[in-house]
Amino acid sequence: MSFKQFTKEIMGKGRRVEGELVKTILYSLLVSFGLFAILYFMKFRYIPDFIPKYGFFIFLIILSYAVVLPSIKQVRAYGNFVCMSGMMIGMTTGMIAGFLPGFFIGATNGMFWGGVFGMGVGIFMGVWNGKCCGIMGIMEGLMAGFMGGLMGAMTAVMMINDNLRIAGVIVFGISAVILFSLNYMIYFEMKESRKESRGDYFTIAFMSFILSAITIWFMVYGPRSILFG
Amino acid sequence: MDQGVFYLVKMGNKLLIILIVALIVGGGVFLVKDSNLTGNAIGGSGSGKVQEVTLGMKNYNYYPNTIKVKVNQPVRIYLDKSVVGCYRSFTIRDFGIAKYLQSEKDYVEFTPTKTGSFRFACSMGMGTGTLIVE
Repeated sequence: MSFKQFTKEIMGKGRRVEGELVKTILYSLLVSFGLFAILYFMKFRYIPDFIPKYGFFIFLIILSYAVVLPSIKQVRAYGNFVCMSGMMIGMTTGMIAGFLPGFFIGATNGMFWGGVFGMGVGIFMGVWNGKCCGIMGIMEGLMAGFMGGLMGAMTAVMMINDNLRIAGVIVFGISAVILFSLNYMIYFEMKESRKESRGDYFTIAFMSFILSAITIWFMVYGPRSILFG
Repeated sequence: MDQGVFYLVKMGNKLLIILIVALIVGGGVFLVKDSNLTGNAIGGSGSGKVQEVTLGMKNYNYYPNTIKVKVNQPVRIYLDKSVVGCYRSFTIRDFGIAKYLQSEKDYVEFTPTKTGSFRFACSMGMGTGTLIVE
């Protein structure tokens, strides 16, 4: 019953923050694709074989940020959670936000840089989202970001001589389902409470811009991109 | 005018979802169209003398780790006995080569049909090198 209600909210037929998640995804995609289009026409199109080498991974990382960022919007709207929910939020966000960048940077720059980058993004996002329940969520975000970043890079490097790109699609698909489930869990836990703040889309657009810019730069000009690209 | 606004409200986020799908499909077609999803590029048979290369191991990597070969001429790569462990699982993704070379008599053979630099590696990517086809 509440899942049905959740999908109604997602479709914008209610008054809760879940109705804004679709808009959040759209803004994130617009900012990231817009940034890529500018970079491509100014610089990347002069790189030989740019699209066959990097296009696929850039496409998936743009989609990845578009599915990770709505949970930040949702969590910020509700503000405070009980420890149990907050830990799950910190863990899921940290793990997925670490795994996906780790995987795609690992695929283009190897284990070390993929791991470092994935851990950085994962820990940052995990802590940011996990702090909604205090120190336990922060700890969970820290640990999950650390683990997700390393695991993502490791998985990509182990797949390099196998079906890396298909694995990328599968990993992204599963991560998207997990994040959608997290959105539902947050809704399920908070559906009785009054939403505290609507927030704006600037943070999401800004985060999309910064994360996409750094990730694309790292993929193309990273220390080992010549070897792995 | 009022009817238009009413229609938009009634549609809820459907319009946005359609926009998102269009954006993903458009971006995907542009970015993925030339990608080789399986990572295996070409096969083909050439003609002429076999170019034989034997790789050893130095500093935990293949040695030499840059090989130059001629295009359209068969290449046969051996691994000597200094190459151990998972390094014996030899791959060249761009030519669809993946084989475990159990002894120094085993080899991989293929014919490079395009020029350029290609990466060869062990199956986990720990040992790497470059195959230059001229």
